[in-house]
Amino acid sequence: MNRFMHYYIRWIVGRHFHKLSFNSIEVDPQRSILLISNHFSFWDGLILYCVNDRLLKKKLHVMMLEDTARKTPALRYAGAFSVNKNSRDVLQSLNYAVQLLDDPQNLVLIFPQGKLYSNFVDKVYFEKGIWRIIEQTRDNFRLVFSATFIQHLKHKKPTATVYLKSIDENSAYKSIDELAKAYQQHYDLSKQSETEIIL
Amino acid sequence: MLPSRQNDTLSRMFYRFMRWWMSRNFKEINIQPFEPRPGHSILLLTNHFSWWDGFFANYAAFNNLKRRLYIMMQHDHFLKHWYFKYLGAFSMKKGSREMLESLTYSAGLLNNPENLVTIFPQGALYSNHETFIHVENGIERLIKQIKGPCQIVYQCTLIDYFEGLKPRAYMHHFDCGVAGEVPFEELRQRINNFHQQALKKQANMEH
Repeated sequence: MNRFMHYYIRWIVGRHFHKLSFNSIEVDPQRSILLISNHFSFWDGLILYCVNDRLLKKKLHVMMLEDTARKTPALRYAGAFSVNKNSRDVLQSLNYAVQLLDDPQNLVLIFPQGKLYSNFVDKVYFEKGIWRIIEQTRDNFRLVFSATFIQHLKHKKPTATVYLKSIDENSAYKSIDELAKAYQQHYDLSKQSETEIIL
Repeated sequence: MLPSRQNDTLSRMFYRFMRWWMSRNFKEINIQPFEPRPGHSILLLTNHFSWWDGFFANYAAFNNLKRRLYIMMQHDHFLKHWYFKYLGAFSMKKGSREMLESLTYSAGLLNNPENLVTIFPQGALYSNHETFIHVENGIERLIKQIKGPCQIVYQCTLIDYFEGLKPRAYMHHFDCGVAGEVPFEELRQRINNFHQQALKKQANMEH
């Protein structure tokens, strides 16, 4: 089933998008990855799944809302685990993510916005839970920021662009505000290079 | 310049076909509420970011603005897709004397209050995330030549996904005033203000 989902996701992303482009970053085989991304559609998880498949080559796990997990249970075979924001189970989900990060083979993808926003937002909102994960697993993982944008350009099908940035020092950030600020900086830069496309 | 040979029946058939095709490719074409001024022709200025833009304009013209669509096309594209001339397209050669002819022709079309002329003021394909809308100088020359009552409308189309697999297109229309009453610099300013408004509205869009 996992194998099937793997090929299915690759097929469906290849079919829907004209092109999926991303910049290359260095991957440390000794450390797991915590991937932080903006959330604006159902596709971003699937897009990052393909990016992971082609570039990062880790085992992807993604945190998703329990409602989505109930609607599309098949995603669990692609590495999704659920979180229910309004209950005490939150801690359980966060601890599970921390555990996953102990294994250098793993990659945990988290959307700190916590729900769907437009692709045109200027400011990326951060929920508090992500800080708990970072606090508990100080140095065994590497932080990677990602910003995804979708545009049509001159093709019938859309083009997805993923901007990745690897952070060398996890302990560089002392609080969630600093983390959010650093992510915001990356997001703004990505957005700027996205608007520079002129054909 | 090559003029349009617009045909109402063909245009209507094409609109129906496009409506079907767009419904396959988009989850929703969402036109934000807008009332055009009655008795005015419309100069529709829209942002140019994708292959679909002309069809979005076509959709809005039939569905919401209720005018006969004409659209300015680049000369080489026009030669390649010659059949668009039956659906309201006319050609424009950028950077040549023929360009003035195209502008005069569009101004002539706008004298009839039943018509709508779509122009991409940016003159090239830009990103959908672009925050600044560049308006080419030709628009000024065009507006000066319009004699009948003509409303200038800025249409900002933005693509967003939210929970669906297919994209949704959101069209925001803004009234930029009546031709001849707005100085060109102010029109530029207004278009950019409206674009910012649309981006802000989109970021807070309910879904």
